[in-house]
Amino acid sequence: MSIRDQVTVTRVKEAVAARSDGAFLSATQPYADTLHFAIEKRAMRAVVEGLVNELQARFMISVGTDTRPVTGDFAILHLFSLDSEHLYVLLESPVSEKDLRIESITAVIPGANWAEREFRDAIGVHPEGHPDPRRLLLADDWPEGVYPLRRDFPYNYQPPRAENVRPQMREPPAGASVVPMGPFFPVLEEPAYYRLFVEGETIVGCDTRLFYNHRGIEKLGESALTYNEIPYLAERICGICGFIHSTCYCQAVEKAAGIEAPRRARYIRTIMLELERIHSHLLWLGIAGHIIGFETVLMQTWRIREPVMWLCEEISGNRKTYGMNTVGGLRRDLPNQIKPKLLETLAKVEKETIAVRNAVIGDTTLHARTKGVGVLTNEWAKKICAVGPPARASAVAIDARIDHPYAAYDELPPQIATQEAGDTWARVLVRVSELLESIRLVREALSAIPEGPICAEIKEGIPPGRVGVSVVEAPRGEAVHFVLTGGDNRPYRWRVRAPTYPNLQALPAMVLGGTIADVPITLGSLDPCFSCTERLETVDRRTNEVRVYSHAELLEMSRRGNPGGCPRAATRAAPTQKARGGGAR
Amino acid sequence: MTIWFIKSFLLCLLNVAAALLLSPLCEGLMRKLRAAIHSRIGPPITQPYWDLLKLLGKEDLRSTGGVVYAGLPALTLGSVLLLAALIPMGTVAPLAFAGDLIVVLYVAAMSGVAIMLTGFASASPYASIGSSREMMMLLSVEPILAIALTVGAFKAKTLALGGIVNWQVQNGPSISMVIGGVAFFLALQAVAGKLPFDIAEADQEIMGGPLVEQSGPRLALFRWAMWVKQLVFAFLLVEVFFPWPHFGNYLMDLIATIVKVLVVLVLVTVIDVVNPRLRIDQAMGYFMRVGVSSLAALAFAVIGK
Repeated sequence: MSIRDQVTVTRVKEAVAARSDGAFLSATQPYADTLHFAIEKRAMRAVVEGLVNELQARFMISVGTDTRPVTGDFAILHLFSLDSEHLYVLLESPVSEKDLRIESITAVIPGANWAEREFRDAIGVHPEGHPDPRRLLLADDWPEGVYPLRRDFPYNYQPPRAENVRPQMREPPAGASVVPMGPFFPVLEEPAYYRLFVEGETIVGCDTRLFYNHRGIEKLGESALTYNEIPYLAERICGICGFIHSTCYCQAVEKAAGIEAPRRARYIRTIMLELERIHSHLLWLGIAGHIIGFETVLMQTWRIREPVMWLCEEISGNRKTYGMNTVGGLRRDLPNQIKPKLLETLAKVEKETIAVRNAVIGDTTLHARTKGVGVLTNEWAKKICAVGPPARASAVAIDARIDHPYAAYDELPPQIATQEAGDTWARVLVRVSELLESIRLVREALSAIPEGPICAEIKEGIPPGRVGVSVVEAPRGEAVHFVLTGGDNRPYRWRVRAPTYPNLQALPAMVLGGTIADVPITLGSLDPCFSCTERLETVDRRTNEVRVYSHAELLEMSRRGNPGGCPRAATRAAPTQKARGGGAR
Repeated sequence: MTIWFIKSFLLCLLNVAAALLLSPLCEGLMRKLRAAIHSRIGPPITQPYWDLLKLLGKEDLRSTGGVVYAGLPALTLGSVLLLAALIPMGTVAPLAFAGDLIVVLYVAAMSGVAIMLTGFASASPYASIGSSREMMMLLSVEPILAIALTVGAFKAKTLALGGIVNWQVQNGPSISMVIGGVAFFLALQAVAGKLPFDIAEADQEIMGGPLVEQSGPRLALFRWAMWVKQLVFAFLLVEVFFPWPHFGNYLMDLIATIVKVLVVLVLVTVIDVVNPRLRIDQAMGYFMRVGVSSLAALAFAVIGK
């Protein structure tokens, strides 16, 4: 650890101690890049204020954990990143069962809004002074006072019936009318409900209801699966950036367990991560074109993208959901004979991407639709804690690959592209340069990749009570996985924060003052991935019979044979059932 | 008298039948072209016929009642077919005796108005937004059509379409008519509901706008009407503004006209494929500029160019 880092650590420690005003409990540094503070909850807000205002800490996520079986209290943990100092700061506070309240930090950090609502829904600790009392995570028909992430809550619990429940939505301001977008809307591949308040075509406000199909992935990981089974579940969080989530989870566990993945495994992870970025950005460019009616862009970019998918299939056996990651490294090596083909494909993709870029950059109609549209100001991007291309397009130069290097990025630092304007066009430019940069990174990784083992040998069990934080720069921005190890070969707490989670919170401010026509492209320019954010699952049923079911009948059918409402009961009514990840576009 | 009547009637039938039966074929050709630019294979050329057949065989669902609402799809298709009978399509206009340029303009606007009314009657917020956009587009585009055709009327000193065509054939190209033709072509893109001006439908924003609640046979009629409209307007453009070369031989002229119409449709499709959708305010600004520029055609006509 360098002297400069020591100075930073001392500064952070002093700042926390000074602000906590006698409520300081402990400070540890489990790893060189992680500072873990425990403070009493009365000082939480003051310390957070200090971190944000004095040290420019960036809020990442809150983790609410039911640690009653261990310590007797609940624990609320706020996770921060000091980006330029390459440091994570964890602020933890015990919350007694007798007084289930903690001061809200949303007033200090607008970006903490959802995170606080989420722990309120999940474990029942109330953020006091939070501006939004409505539910975020739980379904509208979920019973009051039942908290799914508490340890005494069984993962296979089935809630009782509820009839005629609706999301609580805000009423439009006087003089404005409502245009609903969703819950099912053509350009949103996944369910999300936006209520746009409009005067004519101009938007004067917006209310949202998301988390339509929460899959309970975190609960499943904490109660039914083991360390080495979770990577496959993590990979299914998203249909586009599955490898990102499995890598991020594995890195978090590796860190907590003190396992070092071999160098070759880290290089292969880098290659796969960058291949995912390449195909994801091409997919996004196509969707963005589709949203504004530019189908040619969609068709051409998806054609360019296809060989990348074939390459992934050749490497891993699957176009998507590679199943390559495991705690300690990889299960599958990158065959050396694929290198020439990989390079050849990349050259073709690069050439065609540049052709598309040149065509897109010169298109004046495209400029008309994207310049000055959906502006995310630099100030608000920081306040709402935006990540990834939306942040970088608003001149917030953060990138997990630089700020918290993982995999092989310590040896292959990427050039990050930033823009000043913060509009949709800036986000297009940022993503196109990232795409080309990713191609360069894969090339460099291929030429520098060392020989050797691909998985570390793990001799001992993973000790309980350790904390691991890991980030991965997904195509949509920084993904965060937090793992608190448990004793029964599974995490005690596993927290996933997808990049869309903070970015989507920026949307209401971005569409304000625009027109209805601008909303889809503004939303699209965030490259939202609801399945990651919500960790949900959709089920598609097919029958050959033609019959019209009423709402009540459908409810009845979905609950048949089971008083609680088990989704499996529906299988009997529908001969074939096909499940797919919500994000697999 | 009887013979004249039968002859007009048969010609009418010919025009209407040609417009009805050939417009899906044109659409099929254009879909192929679009697919080629997309690097796709595309559907068979006959696909639009199958689309219509399938839609016509479906259940007729209506989101609201009322005689007017029920009759609007038929009215839309009827109005464009009437337009087909009012304009020359490779021959003289069969119903030329029934009306002049002013009738043509009114009938041309009818289908747009009918679609707009459908949207307002559908009781859907997307349809209302679509209809108000449709209205704004109509208001921006109709003056351009009127100005362009008025140039012809001014030059030929007649309000009859046939007269304008004859004058054009006899006098050859003129600056004012070329400018008018270009303005008419630009407006055609919006009339046909093609990108960058398919703002009223805008699938990705308002899910088909005025037609969001339409399905089955009703949707089939609206679709068919749009295809006929596109074809009829292409004929109108070619016949009035670009009637040359005139061979005097009926068959040769017909072939030349059809080739020119196809060229117009190809241009419309290519513009459609290589452009994203504009916002309604941007489109209105654009047509405002086109409208003002088309006044130049009138100015040239006044000085005899």
